[in-house]
Amino acid sequence: MNLQSERRWITQYAILTLVIFLPLFWSFRYIRNLYPFTAWNVMMESGDPARGRSYYVLRGETVSGEIIDLRAAKLTNALYARNWTMVNATVDNQAFKLTSLHPDNLALLNQVGGLQNLPPAARIPDLLEAWGKLYNDKQSTTSPQRLKAVRLDMYRWESGRYSDYDKLQESWRKEL
Amino acid sequence: MPGNAFSLGVMRAVVHGIFLLSVLWTSFSALGALPATILRPTGVMKLLPWSCYVKLLTPGGMSILKWTMVLVLTLGALGILTSVSTKLSFLLVLFYQGLLRSFGHFNHDEMLAVYYLAILAFSPCGDAFTIRKSKAKVTRAGFVYSYPILLMWLLMSWAYFSSALIKLRVGGLKYLSPDNLPSLAIYHSLDNLHDTSFRLAFWLPEIRNYLPVAVGLVLCWELLFPIAIFVRRLRWWFLLFGIVFHVSTLFLMNIFFPYQLAMYLVFVDWESVRRYCQKRMDALAKSPNPQA
Repeated sequence: MNLQSERRWITQYAILTLVIFLPLFWSFRYIRNLYPFTAWNVMMESGDPARGRSYYVLRGETVSGEIIDLRAAKLTNALYARNWTMVNATVDNQAFKLTSLHPDNLALLNQVGGLQNLPPAARIPDLLEAWGKLYNDKQSTTSPQRLKAVRLDMYRWESGRYSDYDKLQESWRKEL
Repeated sequence: MPGNAFSLGVMRAVVHGIFLLSVLWTSFSALGALPATILRPTGVMKLLPWSCYVKLLTPGGMSILKWTMVLVLTLGALGILTSVSTKLSFLLVLFYQGLLRSFGHFNHDEMLAVYYLAILAFSPCGDAFTIRKSKAKVTRAGFVYSYPILLMWLLMSWAYFSSALIKLRVGGLKYLSPDNLPSLAIYHSLDNLHDTSFRLAFWLPEIRNYLPVAVGLVLCWELLFPIAIFVRRLRWWFLLFGIVFHVSTLFLMNIFFPYQLAMYLVFVDWESVRRYCQKRMDALAKSPNPQA
């Protein structure tokens, strides 16, 4: 390898190192994830049972009248490890709090007169409908396991103890 | 310096191969069936206009993305047209992982592998371990192959080391409280939206007084990871601890980091593995045929 080529590689690697590590140090300094730059802040906050936490259970009502648990990870497996935060964010209407809104979300906000008038979980019915359709697409048209509705139940663990985990708070239901 | 052309080639095949298998196994059309109105573009994903997402987030649009990724990742894994295929793989995976994080949260599992793709895209990772026959043998200095491997080691070390420092900065000594692990683990075991539903977390309160020691051990392991990884004797103990740690988070917290675990393969001395296999094959070829 000639000297010129060697120098070219040294320069290329120096730039590559800086381009990767400088933003990573910035992310670390401010503990901020700015995709694709990562602050490895997994589980950074210590857990405290007294704090109280909400969580969600996805269920379906079959045409035969049975209530079944639906596994979001099987319906949208691309989102592996992220289905639960997608639900958290959708319940919290986070898609309406962006600087640049989806045109349909902007139209809805204008229609209701602003974020303060927007009902909670405004897009949850759309998400439940999508999951319901994905589930039914895997069933035969005559299957008693087909869903007639999808439900999202919100529970809260607020006992401050290691018991009484499931205090039902709210439920959203979407007929299919 | 670690690695050579063969090791870099193997890592190219491993990283591209893992993303390829994951893409093949994933239903992109199901992702395309989700409403675009719940999307929250994150980081650089904000630079793309909504019209782009609206067009892409359909079952058909996502299928096109899937098969494009399959083609490019296959070329990258096999070592074909690597100067182009590795760069395209990096860009497509970067976009796809950004899209997933725009639906959910910024989880860290695949991020090391994404950075590894970036390193491979700008290194001569197609000089060895490819299915194509090279026209002429390229001669390059050793550092051209070993520096990218060293960068991958540094990134892995940074991931664990900075993770421990952030925990100490944010949580302080409270992070070692006996309730930290049980409450986090139980929270992640209550819903049915995680990928798995292991219930071992509910057993943790019974042993809560011992848990600060376990959490402290994990913090020490993360903090010492960079030093240990460069000491060959300690390396495998640290990696073994990492495997136990990541597997235990699966059973205790329903949180798993399979991509990060797969990236441990960067610490394997692939040249030694190749030499060992070659020796075994030579010995087999030389051994007299018992039926002759």
